[in-house]
Amino acid sequence: MMKRFWGAALLAASALLPAGQALAQAAPRDTLVILREIDADRYDPARSAATAAGDALFLMADTLVSMDWDQRTIRPGLAERWEVSPDGKTYTFHLRRDVKFCDGKPMTAKDVAYSITRWADPATRSPVRYRAGVVESVTAVDDYTVEYKLKEPYSELLNQLTQYFASIVDQATVEKLGDNFGVQGFNGTGPYCWASWTPRQELVMTRHEGYNWGPPIFQNPSPQIGRIVMRVIPEANTRIAAIQSGQGDVLGGGYLPAFAIEGLKRVPTVRMQQQPIYFYDIFFGFRVDKPVASDPAIRRAANLAVNKDAITRAAYFGTAAPATEMINPAAQDADAEAGRMIPRYNPDEAKKVLDAAGWAMGPDGVRVKDGQRASLLVYALQQQINNTMLQAMQADLRRVGIELRIQLWDATVGWGKLATQEFDAFTISYPYVSATDALSLYFASGNRPTPNRMNWNDPETDALLAAAKTATDPAARAEAIGKLQRRLADANVWIPMIRTPMWLATSTRVEGARPHGIYGVSVYKGLDIRLTR
Amino acid sequence: MGRHAFQRLLMAIPVLLGVVLVGFLLMQVVPSDPAVVRAGPSATPDVVAAIRRDMGLDEPLYQQFGIYLWRLLHGDLGVSIINNVPVMQELGNTVGPTLELMFASLIWAIPLGIALGTAGAYWRGTVVDRIITAIAVAGGSIPVFFLGLLLIWYVGFKLQLLPFTGRAGPLWTSEGLQAIALPAIALGGTFIGPVARMTRTAVLDVLGVDHVRTARAKGLGEFRVVTRHALRNALIPVVTLIGLQIGFLLGGAVVTETVFSWPGVGRLAVGAILSADFPMAQGTIIVLSLGFIIINLVVDVLYAALDPRMRTG
Repeated sequence: MMKRFWGAALLAASALLPAGQALAQAAPRDTLVILREIDADRYDPARSAATAAGDALFLMADTLVSMDWDQRTIRPGLAERWEVSPDGKTYTFHLRRDVKFCDGKPMTAKDVAYSITRWADPATRSPVRYRAGVVESVTAVDDYTVEYKLKEPYSELLNQLTQYFASIVDQATVEKLGDNFGVQGFNGTGPYCWASWTPRQELVMTRHEGYNWGPPIFQNPSPQIGRIVMRVIPEANTRIAAIQSGQGDVLGGGYLPAFAIEGLKRVPTVRMQQQPIYFYDIFFGFRVDKPVASDPAIRRAANLAVNKDAITRAAYFGTAAPATEMINPAAQDADAEAGRMIPRYNPDEAKKVLDAAGWAMGPDGVRVKDGQRASLLVYALQQQINNTMLQAMQADLRRVGIELRIQLWDATVGWGKLATQEFDAFTISYPYVSATDALSLYFASGNRPTPNRMNWNDPETDALLAAAKTATDPAARAEAIGKLQRRLADANVWIPMIRTPMWLATSTRVEGARPHGIYGVSVYKGLDIRLTR
Repeated sequence: MGRHAFQRLLMAIPVLLGVVLVGFLLMQVVPSDPAVVRAGPSATPDVVAAIRRDMGLDEPLYQQFGIYLWRLLHGDLGVSIINNVPVMQELGNTVGPTLELMFASLIWAIPLGIALGTAGAYWRGTVVDRIITAIAVAGGSIPVFFLGLLLIWYVGFKLQLLPFTGRAGPLWTSEGLQAIALPAIALGGTFIGPVARMTRTAVLDVLGVDHVRTARAKGLGEFRVVTRHALRNALIPVVTLIGLQIGFLLGGAVVTETVFSWPGVGRLAVGAILSADFPMAQGTIIVLSLGFIIINLVVDVLYAALDPRMRTG
C-alpha cells in the first residue's frame, strides 16, 4: 500500500513541476492582474465611501467630468462641456451622444439625472451625500442636456463630480438588482464591464467593446486590455512577491507597503512610478474642548516639538514627505501664508512656549499646570505607520514635558472609538481634492463628533466655510478658505504630519501605466495601460 | 459501538449550542459598531444612526439573539451586513476550498510523518534518528505563516516553480494542483512534526514487545516486521493525535489561507472579523467549530473502534 502511495505521489509531483514553472512566471495573456489588499463592501457608487470601491468604479463607470493629473484641472468626461449660471446655482451639462452602457443601451440625460438624484437622496444612505451639494433638482432638459440645480452655490461641485460617488449608472439595472446592485451585477458606461465578483477574492472585468469616450487626459480614448482581474491578497509580503514574480501586474497606492518601495525600485522585474501631486495626508488632531488639549500653548508647543522630517523618514523609509502645511501647496486654494504659520521643528521654542503659559516641569518629566498634567490620550487605528509615527512623537513630546498615551485600535473597533469623546488627540489619514473639500469635512461644527473629531465649534469657521463653498468667484473662494486656513493654523488645531506617497509598481509586461491618485486610486481609468505579452 | 457513537453525537449538540451563544456574545462584546464601519470614516452621525436602524442593531440583545437562533434552526445564517450576500452561500463557496486544502495537506503529511517517525524509531540513536528528530521539532515549531512566506519567497518567487496567489481551479485540474501545492506544503509541514514524534515513541514501545521478537524469530524481513507487526500496533495513539491535530489544522488553515490568498472559510473568517461583518463572522465561527466537533466525534468513534476499552456503557 505504501509503495502504491509513493508511486502516486511521485507521479503527481512530476506532473506538477514543469507545468507549474510556466504558470508561476506570468499572469494570463491579455489579462491585467491588479493586486489589492482589501476588497470593497460593494460596488455601488452611491453607497460606498471606500477607496477599494473607487479602484473598480472608475473603471466600470464614468463621471460627468474628469480630473487631470494635476489634481485641480477639471476636464470633460461624459459631459463635453458645461455652463454655470451667474448665481452659481445652476450647472448645465451637455452630454456626449455616443455613450453606451455595458449592456449596449445608449446613455442619456435621464440616466445622469437618476444617478445624481439617487446619490443625493437621503434614502440612499450615501455616506458622502454631502459631496453632491444642497441639491434642489437634477433634471434631463433633453436627451443630452442635464440641469443640476442647487439651493445654494457650491464651488466644490465640479471637483466632487469627478469622484466615483458621482458615477453614472443604469437605472434599470439598479432597480432590477435593488440592494444587490454592485454586489451581483453592475451596468455602467466605463471602459471595463462587470463580469463577476467573488467578495474578498477577485473582481473580474472585461473590455467595454466600442468604448471610445475616455477622458482627454489619456492618450487612448479606448481600453487596451481584454480583461482585468482585481485580486485581493491580504498579506503584504505575498503581494510584494507576486508583483516581483509577475503573478500580478499592478500594485499601487495604499496597497503597496511603504517598507517595500525603496527595495522594489531596484528590482529589474518591476517598474516603479510616482505621482508627485497626491493629496492623501496624515494629521494629528487635538480635541480642543478637552482640559489639556484645549490650551493653545500645548498645541503650539506640540507642533514645535515634533520632528516631522525624522518621523516621516522612519515611517516611510524616505519615500514620503513631511506635511509642513495643513493643505498640500499643490492643492486648489492652499494658502501659502497659512502654510508658513505652521510651526517648524524647534524643541527649545516649544519649551519656552510651555514655560510662558505656566506649564512647569513636574518631577516625573511631565509638565503640570493648575494640578493638571500635560498628558494626552491619543487614539489611532492599529497600523504600522501609526505605531511608528506615534512612538516617535511620544519621544519628541516627552523631551519638552508633554506625555502622550497611545492607544491603537483595530480597524473594526477603531472607527467606533474615534467617534467617542474618550480621547484628547487622534491621528488619521484622508484624501482630498481642494482646501475647501478638506476643511469642510473636518471643521464644520455640524460634523461633530465625527468627522469633526476635534470638536472644533467656531461660528467664524462655519461662516468662512459657507463663504468658500458658496462662492461663485474663485478668488472669493480662495480668500475665504485661505482666511480659514490661517485661523486654523494660528490655533494649531492639527499637527500636519505626513504627505503619504502614491507609487505604482507594475510588472515589466505592463506599458503605459501612470499613477493618478484621485481619492487614493492609482489606476483611475487605466486607458493607456497595455500588455506587451 | 453504535450506542457509543450516538452518545457522542448527543453530547455534541450542547457544545454546538454553546458555540452559537459564545459566538454571538463575542460579536456583541467587541467594541465595534458595524454601522460605523459600514458608513465609513467620513459619515455624519445621522447617516450612521440611519444605517444602524436599517441593520436592526438598535433592537434589544436578547431579541437579536432570539431572531438569530430561530433563523439558524431553519438553516438561515442571515446575510452579510457588508454586501447582502447570504452567509450560507458564501460558506458554501468557501468550505470546498478549505476541505481541499486540508485534504491536500494531509495526503502527504500523514504518510510522511508516520514514515519519518517509524524510521526514527527503527534507527534509534543514529544520525538518521537525530536528523528526523530535528525535522520533527522544526516542523512542529515553525509557525505556519513563516513557513508559508519562506515557500513563497524561495519556491514561488526565486525559483518561480509554483504559483502562490490563490486557488486556480479544482484539485483535479493541472492549474488547481499547481495552485494548491505551496499552501498544502506549508500547512502539511506543520503536521509532520507531531505525527513523526508520536509515531517514533509508539513504534519504539512496540518494537521491544514479544510479538515483534516472535516475528523476527520466524525469519520475517525487517521491513515487514516494522510495517506489519510494529507500526500497525503503534497506530492507536497516532490516530488519536492525528484526529486532534486535524482539528488544530483548521486554525492553521486560517493563517495559511490568508498568506496564500486561499479562498476558504479561514480567510472568510478573517475578512468577516476585520470588516465587522457580524453574521458572516458568526457563520464562519459556527462552521469552523462544527468542523472541530465533527472531527473530534469521528476520532472518538474511531478510537473506540480501535480500542474497545474506550467504549462507554
